[in-house]
Amino acid sequence: MRTRALIRLAVILSVAGLTTAAVAASADDFKAALAKAEAANKQAGALKNQWTTTTNALNAAKKAADGGKFDEAVKHANEAEALANASIAQAKGEEKAWADAVVR
Amino acid sequence: MLRKLFVAAVFVVGAAQPLLADNAVDPQADFKAFREYFTKRFPKVQLDDFVNGPYSMDEGLRKQWKAIEEFPPYEFAVDHGKEAFAKPFKNGKTLGDCFPNKGVGIRQNYPYFDTKSGEVITLELALNQCLEANGEKPLDYTSQEMAALTAYMAFTSRGKPFDIKIPNDPRALAAYRSGEEYFYTRRGQLNFSCASCHVQSPGGHIRTEVLAPALGILNAMPIFRSEWGNMGTITRRFQTCNSQVRGVPLPGQDVLYRNVEYYLSYMGNGLPISGPGARP
Amino acid sequence: MELRQSHLVLAAVAGGLIGAAVLSWSAASAAPVGQELAFDRGKGNCLTCHEIKDGPAPGNLGPALNDMKARFPDRKELIAIVSDETKRNPLTVMPPFKRNLILNDEEIEQIVDFLYTL
Repeated sequence: MRTRALIRLAVILSVAGLTTAAVAASADDFKAALAKAEAANKQAGALKNQWTTTTNALNAAKKAADGGKFDEAVKHANEAEALANASIAQAKGEEKAWADAVVR
Repeated sequence: MLRKLFVAAVFVVGAAQPLLADNAVDPQADFKAFREYFTKRFPKVQLDDFVNGPYSMDEGLRKQWKAIEEFPPYEFAVDHGKEAFAKPFKNGKTLGDCFPNKGVGIRQNYPYFDTKSGEVITLELALNQCLEANGEKPLDYTSQEMAALTAYMAFTSRGKPFDIKIPNDPRALAAYRSGEEYFYTRRGQLNFSCASCHVQSPGGHIRTEVLAPALGILNAMPIFRSEWGNMGTITRRFQTCNSQVRGVPLPGQDVLYRNVEYYLSYMGNGLPISGPGARP
Repeated sequence: MELRQSHLVLAAVAGGLIGAAVLSWSAASAAPVGQELAFDRGKGNCLTCHEIKDGPAPGNLGPALNDMKARFPDRKELIAIVSDETKRNPLTVMPPFKRNLILNDEEIEQIVDFLYTL
């Protein structure tokens, strides 16, 4: 019984430790996340299909990073990347789909 | 041998047909289908009335419009545009010198496809090209100054039917096709194309706003919008549409904007210029 | 042994009851949040196209949202419509709220909770 309780405690502690390690983002984490988001948004730009919400998320990320809030900055950068990828998917899907909407 | 030939023929026909269907650009057929779509959907609307946008769709709005037109809110822009057209540049020439007939009564011919540069030339672009060619500063495509110039040119062209030509030049057809593609392509986070609103939903309400039909929609440009409290150029209208669906607008007179204006103006061929317009 | 089993059954039943109570409580309480999301111009923005009870200045591109339980007895169908109606109707003007990341799964559930109060 005692050993089980101890194991449980150990598990809880290690999980807690892992979580804190994952949450505390650094400036480098932010830079990496931002680079990925900006690369995706650049691709959306080449397809002439950037979203304003991607821009907003990128700006929020940079602002948070300027204030030293890297957790928040990484979160917004990841959002921006997801939005940019969705806009790319939309543009690629529309390369064929647009023709179905044409009045004939 | 015969059989082989037959198989080959079937193969060629089979391969060629989808290619034809995909690549054939037939502006005249598009034009006919486009116009028919609107006239069939709105059998009570007179053909020439489509250029009046939401007023052709909604009786209540139409009454408000009649009242607005008694003191047209775009009148100031027309007067200002007229003055600007006559005002000499530093080199002594005027804007009028860049255009046929001094720029009077020619709005219906824009945009046109310039076979020299291989590009679509819109009225707004032509105005800035004129300024730059004469050593003057080009205007912001969304500015009140630009709107005043096109308002004056539209006003002096009222009633003249849109007369957009697509020369027999593969580049012109490609520009037309690119404009058509832009018009029907969904974009922005909200996933709207130009057609989602102005082909699929004209007369419908977005909140309290009545959507204008795409047929003849550019005939009324530029417009004074009460919502804006001032004049809007075609560039401004395109950019606002983009941002309303949460898409990042293209730079003013981007080649895609010019192509879509080319396509859409061609669809309005034969309908009278009614600009400048007043809209809620 | 028998006693133990019956205890287990009792515990299971009690657990189920509590679970059901929690579920129905959370469902009922999500509706106000869902209404806020539905009316929020940055989120559902439903009023742009749909008439909704107590919603000011609605548009009419889509059908009025009423009598939802009768019209959509299957909750999954309603979730699917809000998530991405273009899958069923490619030409719909309804934004694909999930695919285009306008709403997340939780927000869609909350909006659907609200829709079922209409």
